[in-house]
Amino acid sequence: MTDASERSTDQVPALHVDANAAEAVAAAGSVDVEIRRAMLAYMLLARGIDDEAVRLQNQGALDLWLSCRGQEAAQVASAIAVGDEAVIFPSYREHAIAVVRGVDAVSLVAQWAGRTFCGWNPRQHRFFPYTLVVGAQALHAVGYAIGQKIKGIAETVVVYIGDGATSQGDVSEAMNLAAVESAPVLFVCQNNGWAISKPSHEQMLTPIADRARGFGITAWSIAADEPDSTYLHCVTARRHVEATRSPALIELRTMRSAGHSSSDAHSLYRDRAELARAAANDPVSRYRDTLLADGVVDVAWVDRVDAGIELTCRRLLEAFGR
Amino acid sequence: MTNGRARCLAESLNDALSHLMDTDHSVVLIGQDIGRLGGVFRVTRGLQERFGSTRVRDAVLAESSIVGQAIGMALSGLRPICEIQFEGFVYPAMNQIVTQAARMTARWNDDVALHLVIRVPVGGGIRAVEHHSDSNEALFAHIPGLHVAYPSNPMDAAGMLTYACGLGQPVIFFEPKRLYWKRTQQARTPSPHGSVLGGQTVREGTDITVVGYGAVLEEVLAAAHMLEGSIDVEVVDLRWIAPMDTDTVLASVARTGRLLVVHEAVGFCGVGAELVAVVAEKAWDSLRTPPRRLAPARRTYPPADAENGYLISVADVVGAIEEMCR
Repeated sequence: MTDASERSTDQVPALHVDANAAEAVAAAGSVDVEIRRAMLAYMLLARGIDDEAVRLQNQGALDLWLSCRGQEAAQVASAIAVGDEAVIFPSYREHAIAVVRGVDAVSLVAQWAGRTFCGWNPRQHRFFPYTLVVGAQALHAVGYAIGQKIKGIAETVVVYIGDGATSQGDVSEAMNLAAVESAPVLFVCQNNGWAISKPSHEQMLTPIADRARGFGITAWSIAADEPDSTYLHCVTARRHVEATRSPALIELRTMRSAGHSSSDAHSLYRDRAELARAAANDPVSRYRDTLLADGVVDVAWVDRVDAGIELTCRRLLEAFGR
Repeated sequence: MTNGRARCLAESLNDALSHLMDTDHSVVLIGQDIGRLGGVFRVTRGLQERFGSTRVRDAVLAESSIVGQAIGMALSGLRPICEIQFEGFVYPAMNQIVTQAARMTARWNDDVALHLVIRVPVGGGIRAVEHHSDSNEALFAHIPGLHVAYPSNPMDAAGMLTYACGLGQPVIFFEPKRLYWKRTQQARTPSPHGSVLGGQTVREGTDITVVGYGAVLEEVLAAAHMLEGSIDVEVVDLRWIAPMDTDTVLASVARTGRLLVVHEAVGFCGVGAELVAVVAEKAWDSLRTPPRRLAPARRTYPPADAENGYLISVADVVGAIEEMCR
């Protein structure tokens, strides 16, 4: 992993992560200290951008915003676990992953201000454009992986889908195709509990990991509110894909703390207690507290990150404020 | 051409695919039964033996998978050419075509080439069962971001396919089924066409412009030949439905003063409606008679016993021309 501050115009403290050392530590079942620091920095930055985008949308400066609040642990840990070299086909809420991939905040937000369909260079960031037709990107990811295989290029491909997407025929088709073609694709399903107002338990009777296994795909389902364990599980999943050159699926059980979008009044259909639980179990503040308690970061480090985030938010305001 | 030794449409397309694969190793074929079997119409016969199963890929029985994976392959730098078995089976892939393929280069801020050809056998007249005879090119022509090709003869089809493969934008490539193995076609006296995407005047005349494309051009040309001596019919092969070369049609109508558009797809909201509208808007003053469409009414393609009553016949074309030139 390269120095995150070099890759992004958003200021987070220099993160010096030795990928080989991190791999060795992960193999031993724990998470390298620099990885932990990086994950926290990205989670804080993603949250800062998300909060600022919500404010800008409230002010009418953005047309729409799909918050990833509550999913930062799942997104940042999985994105760091798959590594910089993997090509990522996101869905449309993967803002924290974009941040890990060095997409700057203004580029990330531009499409929600009606300026473009994609504000970043997909190849440069190895982070392809958001796909708004739910699940359609799953087949693209599989086809891309088959294409690279035909060309003799060993490359890991990661596709993000949500719990709602598991009902789309294209997602089942993509899993079947990946299985029969032995396409090296890691399917990451963020199950955030809700597809707008439809709860996951009404979306599927059989868990997505079970269905993946039915297609012949190795699969895991994990709680993904805590970055360290999420990272380790995702490293295992990525290694499986790379070692077997065949697909795998990992379901990350997470929580959508905000509405589906800025137009979604989720308090109409969500239980107050559930939202209170989500707020109390916020993965970003919990991880910050954990790393402070573990002595991995100190208050001065957090302050430096916060100062960088403030600059990022100011740039967003300058770019989109009206 | 009436040359019996000429390659028929299926053979000509096979030649073109073979040549494309020979000269460009990024070209791959994906479709149901195209490898071992050579395709249900045998268009890809022999290609898997020659180029191997990695490049001539027998697809799973799922059209969305065919087009969706081809989009991903194109993003990886390959040039996939898909085959859909029959037009009636393209609809499971319609989401991938309309919301994904057609928009992909725009989504990438025009910073990507999407080399993607979707070959679709189209049209009736072969006594086929339900779904196997339809013509719905207007649906695709309506979608920004799609090129829609509709060749009418073997040699032209090969050239258009080669062009489509190198275009860098998705092309729906319609292949008239009843021409696949037809050895003889109506005589043409083609004038050179301006651009590869242009229409082509395939018979010159002074009394009326008749525009068609695909297999129905056979009926149009037969009618024109029959009327020789009484009515001098100019015939334009549209070739591409989108983009549509209206300039060639307007230039022809400026000379003849009459426009008849003939197609096998239903007339309602069809290609003919678009052409007639363009001519009405831009060439009203040069029209000697109201422009007209000759196409089936808006109804489901019938069972085979009734298809002759549905399809446009030579007599239908002759009748329409005579009425307009009376």
